Amino acid sequence: MSRKISIDPITRLEGHGKIEIFLDDSGAVEDCYFQIPELRGFERFVVGRPIEELPRLVTRICGVCPASHHMASAKAVDGCFGGEVAPLAVKLRRMYYNAHYIHSHIAHFYALAAPDFVLGPDADPAIRNVLGVVGKVGLEIGGAVIASRGKAQEIQRIIGGRSTQDIWCIPGGVAKGLRTEELEQIRPMVAELYDFTQFSLQLFRDVVLGNPTYLDIIANGPYTLDVHNMGLVDERNAVDFYDGQVRVVDFEGEEICRYEPHQYADYVAEHVEPWSYLKFPYLKQRGWNGFVEGIDTSIYCATPLARLNVADRMATPKAQEGFEEMFSTLGAHPSRMLLAQHWARLVEMVQNAETLQLYCDDPEITGDAFRVIPQQVTGEGFGIVEAMRGTLTHHYTCDENAICTSANLIVGTTNNNAPIQMVTRKVAETLIKPGTDPDQGILNMIEMAFRAFDPCYSCATHSLPGQMPLRVTVRRGGKVTHDFRRGC
Amino acid sequence: MKTLLLGMGNPILGDDAVGIRVTERLGRRLGPVPDLAVREECCTGGLELLEVVEGFDRLIVLDSIKTEGGRPGDWYRFDGTALRETMHLNNVHDANFATAMELGRQMGVHVPDDADIHVLAVEISENLTFSDRLSPEVQAALPDLIDEMHEEILTLLTRTAAIPRRHVL
Repeated sequence: MSRKISIDPITRLEGHGKIEIFLDDSGAVEDCYFQIPELRGFERFVVGRPIEELPRLVTRICGVCPASHHMASAKAVDGCFGGEVAPLAVKLRRMYYNAHYIHSHIAHFYALAAPDFVLGPDADPAIRNVLGVVGKVGLEIGGAVIASRGKAQEIQRIIGGRSTQDIWCIPGGVAKGLRTEELEQIRPMVAELYDFTQFSLQLFRDVVLGNPTYLDIIANGPYTLDVHNMGLVDERNAVDFYDGQVRVVDFEGEEICRYEPHQYADYVAEHVEPWSYLKFPYLKQRGWNGFVEGIDTSIYCATPLARLNVADRMATPKAQEGFEEMFSTLGAHPSRMLLAQHWARLVEMVQNAETLQLYCDDPEITGDAFRVIPQQVTGEGFGIVEAMRGTLTHHYTCDENAICTSANLIVGTTNNNAPIQMVTRKVAETLIKPGTDPDQGILNMIEMAFRAFDPCYSCATHSLPGQMPLRVTVRRGGKVTHDFRRGC
Repeated sequence: MKTLLLGMGNPILGDDAVGIRVTERLGRRLGPVPDLAVREECCTGGLELLEVVEGFDRLIVLDSIKTEGGRPGDWYRFDGTALRETMHLNNVHDANFATAMELGRQMGVHVPDDADIHVLAVEISENLTFSDRLSPEVQAALPDLIDEMHEEILTLLTRTAAIPRRHVL
């Protein structure tokens, strides 16, 4: 029995994120918790299904980085069938993933990061959005943003047959290759995307680096954490988004460990807190030491900046120039300045565009040996890629009939759960002092902290309005003293 | 008017799929209708929606919604002007629906006017646990939802121009 309701539902939406701030008697921050509705049960949902279905199913976990799940899952499923993959398929998967990275980073940089810097972190919330950015920098740039995003997505569609909810990767390879005429369609778009990555870097230089106030916020605001860094690197310790070893480097630049995908459980463990459904990964060999900064902490970040922090270099020349410029400006490699994530994304965009160019010139890329037919079921597979938001691990087992018996996922944002909590608290402690009255401004300052991580909690949930409503509650002596709501 | 009937949601996230399930059935019931395109499943948001709705004069979205005290299986109808109230709020990943549409308009992309964006949203119970089944309450409401939304959509399709309104029937 349904019932049509005639009231405005937008004013009472549920499913919001919560930041609970507890003040002591003096009015200083005693505790701070960041809680987000979390999706549950995927690992249970896939047990009993054919293992080769998983790369198609996992694209539904997340509406924002479906390609990352598709790739990690494909690699884990390859492992369940013995691990042999056609070399051409690896190139094509990488190429697809390069385009996806550009597409995702453009959206994040221009829609989320740019408003804080182009308009200013204290700008009127009514204009602090992508429309405000376009209003300030010009309609032409807005058009270029939409066009470039569209080109990156079109490249994915041409290579993989679809641009979202991928079905392309199959055990041992991919379902379709790249025809010569398709390559010729892609080539000019890649050139234009490369130009756009250069344009974006220049915009960052002009708008952010040219403004001492913004540089001060990046370097001297509360947005720094002394925790470690995680990311994939290739054999030269260059940034790799699709494959390689996971490298962990402390915030002073010393390597703590490095591991192959199948060793992940020896190096990463997950801590549980009673106030959160989401677990808190930490470096297993150091043990859980709590939400603490410092050289002995077991907490790490897995983010764009962390990827560049763990690498000795970028894999391509122009990106390497960007890498050197960035760390030289920040004053150190690795860097602890969390807002530099946005800059790191731009440097990563350059590497992805340059890599796409290399593949376009690869004489083998239009070949037809894009799949190896699996001959055996070996029963266990591991897949690690760098999702845009951090290191993504898939681990599956299956029986002799290739039916899934277990699945374990550590997603990008989960890696960052502890640092997000810590920086949220740090910003709250900095802003809310005895004698000061919290106001709506804290919402954006706190949001700037967790927005830098581009957290990806319940993003597969599309219930209206397709955004995360947020509520900040400040309590003192058991009573709510302030209650700020946005969209809920 | 060139119209898109769009089922929004995640097909394996419990009640989140209700927009998809209703659109599948309504698409079959409506049959071929001049100038009407049906996309049963759309699992995306933000700026990507621009590409989905580009070129259409009218958009009818079937989606899920969760409100305080809402009764699962009930449904709401409102238009793009209601979503506009949230336009200046950032999505955690991207632009929200109304911002994406406004950005598109400013860039000269042909997207429907707010008054020609109609959202039919079903109150749901569970959308945080992966499942390919709807909750019993929403499943039980499905036949009536389809009948009532079918009628609503037929009415909407007879309109030839935007009728600016704030929200809610």
